[in-house]
Amino acid sequence: MSGGTIKGGNVQIGQDGTATNNFTWYQPAVADGSVRLGQGVAGATTKDMITVSGSNITLGGNLVQAATAAPAFSAYNSSAQSIANNSFTKVQFQTENFDTNSNFDNSTNYRFTPTVAGYYHVTAQVALNSLTANSFSAIYKNGGAIAYSPVAVGWSGIANTLSAIAVDVYMNGTTDYLEVYVYQASGGSLNTVNSSNATMFSAFLARSA
Amino acid sequence: MLYDKIIAIYPELTDADFSPFIGTIVLQNDSDGRGDYIAKWEHPTLTKPTEDQLK
Repeated sequence: MSGGTIKGGNVQIGQDGTATNNFTWYQPAVADGSVRLGQGVAGATTKDMITVSGSNITLGGNLVQAATAAPAFSAYNSSAQSIANNSFTKVQFQTENFDTNSNFDNSTNYRFTPTVAGYYHVTAQVALNSLTANSFSAIYKNGGAIAYSPVAVGWSGIANTLSAIAVDVYMNGTTDYLEVYVYQASGGSLNTVNSSNATMFSAFLARSA
Repeated sequence: MLYDKIIAIYPELTDADFSPFIGTIVLQNDSDGRGDYIAKWEHPTLTKPTEDQLK
């Protein structure tokens, strides 16, 4: 077929006995400048899945992105870690809540290396077991800090200090990786608060490249 | 701890010298079993301690 024009007609795709298993490209009976892909057979579609009108494309169904195309993970510190005084220390997140693409290393380097290029929303928080410590955390990309949290100030009556941080960052999908470091200057070593609601690290693909 | 060893060598250093924002010395630990190390030493007058001094 070398091409052609269909005027006032429908193009049905599929001939299944179940009407909703077929789709039909059609123009409304009263032309409005649009063309539509409806679910159902010609002349009896039941739902417009795609409507093209002018420069707009409107989806009538759900936009589903393949799971493998959207890395997301969440992990937390499940074993208390000693953080030395005045030393930036990488935080270990040993337990995963989820890790859709197996992109987080929760046993050796404690880093997120997403395999899909794009823009990621990243969050982290680190709690230290101390009444008096001042601390803050940082998200590192490829070994260098890209964002610091506000300083968490020790406060009597609160058992822990907690610093939290969020950042959006581009990742190349191959070699770029993210880690979390924490710093404290209490005068001695402090332990992390090893709990799923205290010291955690997560990220997800917000927009592909 | 590395910080304590450095302070023992240079008692005049303060926490401010180790501040990530205003300090000239950064200690780091990559949680890879190697322990703390000096990631940056840019102090204007004090020289970076040698490995022997830090033993």
